[in-house]
Amino acid sequence: MNDAETTILNRREEFARVKESLDGLAAAHRIAAGVVADMQVALDEILTNIVDYGYTDGGEYEIRVRLRVLDNTLEATIEDDGQPFNPLEVPAPDTHAPLGERRIGGVGLHFVRNLMTDVRYDRVGDRNRLVLRRQLTA
Amino acid sequence: MEVKEEQVGGVTVLQVKGRLDSATSPMLGERLTAVLEAAKARVLVDFSQLEYISSAGFRILLQAAKRAEQNTAKLVLCGVSGKVRQLFDLGGFLDLFSITATREEGVAAAQ
Repeated sequence: MNDAETTILNRREEFARVKESLDGLAAAHRIAAGVVADMQVALDEILTNIVDYGYTDGGEYEIRVRLRVLDNTLEATIEDDGQPFNPLEVPAPDTHAPLGERRIGGVGLHFVRNLMTDVRYDRVGDRNRLVLRRQLTA
Repeated sequence: MEVKEEQVGGVTVLQVKGRLDSATSPMLGERLTAVLEAAKARVLVDFSQLEYISSAGFRILLQAAKRAEQNTAKLVLCGVSGKVRQLFDLGGFLDLFSITATREEGVAAAQ
């Protein structure tokens, strides 16, 4: 098994199926725990973002997540048909602000950009396609 | 994720095991809100069994720290190591919380 595809609805309760899929693939390929954790965090951030901001009409939509193990790389491709959104354009958060002024906005995408080896965004037709790559060597 | 609660020397210790993410953070958030409600609450959160924490986890920790400050309660974290420490560092959260290496030091700091 070198890849796994999961289609979920735009609801938080659905994320568990993507996480389980990643755990299964990681176990089959004996991927290091730290690499799996990085990808789990990145997927949690990206899926949360899509669910929270991708759709404004309260409707039910599908998000597709494809996981692949390539040469020395764990790859996740996330596709949704929500509003165009390029996470690479979100500015880094102020990580030095004191507690009273600290905001969580932007932290999740900051994690994604720093934990992944490579992040690529494309708008393909009416879909957002984000490819996350994490080198298998820690 | 599992949260185990103990009382050690007047300090409420919450041991968090597993993954702290968008699915599990609300549960820890509720526990923290509940324990920080008590007058002069003393709370230690032990992360030594935590695999990772996403921004959803940091959101509830920030809320808890702000609540603790308002209620003059004490909130201390311990066992922040490995992957979890890397995420604290990446988000600039290490300086924002009172963090000790061991549970014993954490209990002492919270008392």
